Amino acid sequence: MLPFKVTFTPGLSVHEQVLFAAKKAIVCGQLKPGDAFPSVRVLSQELRINPNTAQKVSARLRDEGLIEMQPGLGSVVAKSAHVLSSHKKELLGRDLEHLVVEAKKLKLTEQELLDALRQHWKNLS
Amino acid sequence: MGYAIRTEGLTKKFGGRAAVDQLALDVPEGSIYAFLGPNGSGKTTTIKLMMNILFPTAGRAEVLGVPSAKIGPEQFRQIGYVSENQKIPGWMTVPQLIGFCKPMYPTWDDGFCNRLLEQFDLPNDVKLKSMSRGMKVKAMLLSSLAYRPKLLVLDEPFSGLDPLVRDELIRGILELTESEGWTVFISSHDIDEVERLADWVGFIDKGKLAVSESKETLQARFRQIELALPADAHVPQELPKEWLVPQRAGHAFRFVESQYGNGSSERFNAVFPGIADADEQSLPLREIYLALARHFKGANR
Repeated sequence: MLPFKVTFTPGLSVHEQVLFAAKKAIVCGQLKPGDAFPSVRVLSQELRINPNTAQKVSARLRDEGLIEMQPGLGSVVAKSAHVLSSHKKELLGRDLEHLVVEAKKLKLTEQELLDALRQHWKNLS
Repeated sequence: MGYAIRTEGLTKKFGGRAAVDQLALDVPEGSIYAFLGPNGSGKTTTIKLMMNILFPTAGRAEVLGVPSAKIGPEQFRQIGYVSENQKIPGWMTVPQLIGFCKPMYPTWDDGFCNRLLEQFDLPNDVKLKSMSRGMKVKAMLLSSLAYRPKLLVLDEPFSGLDPLVRDELIRGILELTESEGWTVFISSHDIDEVERLADWVGFIDKGKLAVSESKETLQARFRQIELALPADAHVPQELPKEWLVPQRAGHAFRFVESQYGNGSSERFNAVFPGIADADEQSLPLREIYLALARHFKGANR
């Protein structure tokens, strides 16, 4: 079993969807520093995805410093995985863009959208 | 990058009709290539030409660097081939099948074979002819995977199988990719099944290759565009050739842009000046395939 969940949407890049799910798990603390991160083989097998895609996901996470190789252990979530607010914002990026596009379609003003957001924020806090 | 399979002008005619027509495709090493097309589009014929079961009327195919006409036992030791209509030794049980195949392949991997046996959950004491289709396909795949072929060719492996068996087969195929030097070529009319698996895609329609490229670039260049036409909008008769299957329903206008990002906004502005908000959606493989198939159907009319 994988320590994070991916629900695939057809049409979207498989690589981006897996990357997104993995980052989310790290940022949300579902995967903690020092936790084992699945190997390329396990990612590919468990998600039934192309191994080249799984390879790309691992490489990207390594490049961004979120996972690191530990000799004898394989990949682990980086001890120094600073979860930056930029990571958090990035995870919301697509949803935010979608929200703005939809608001524009409905011909809402920026202020109206912000007011609606604030109202929802209040309702949940 | 090397290629596991290359064809050039590959053509096979049956009684004057081309079942495979001028096919040129390259399958990169280390890829999972999905060869997609409707039933009767020439997928099986293409594979038989590659496997030297049929001889081409014209053109050529090269498999693992060897011209297809010269493919013999030595090459078949490095090729795993499972086809829908394969003759199987029905009188054998799975252990007998393994015992029969193993001596033919110097690279046979007992550990891998045992792992697959366990994963596929195959019975030891049932003859192949008494097995369900799913069991048979699993047994044949096992006997083609256990020697870790450099090239695995699967002709419609999933058709008529239940989702659980399909899933087991996909896992088995992926097991192969952990070794060095592998390529998988899968023909299928079931696009959803291979969407996540494939990184290269070929679409064949009436014997002709409509597309052969990496899935990433393919999905990047197709977008479904939808817009609301203003009341006085005029839609010209002649639309850009990159726009596939344009449709209009009332004020809604929809088409598939086949070269997104490559002059697509200029094209859009030229046809619909002043319209700013169009909805752009990326498309699943299935939708891309349908758009292409409908486009070619229309073009032939």
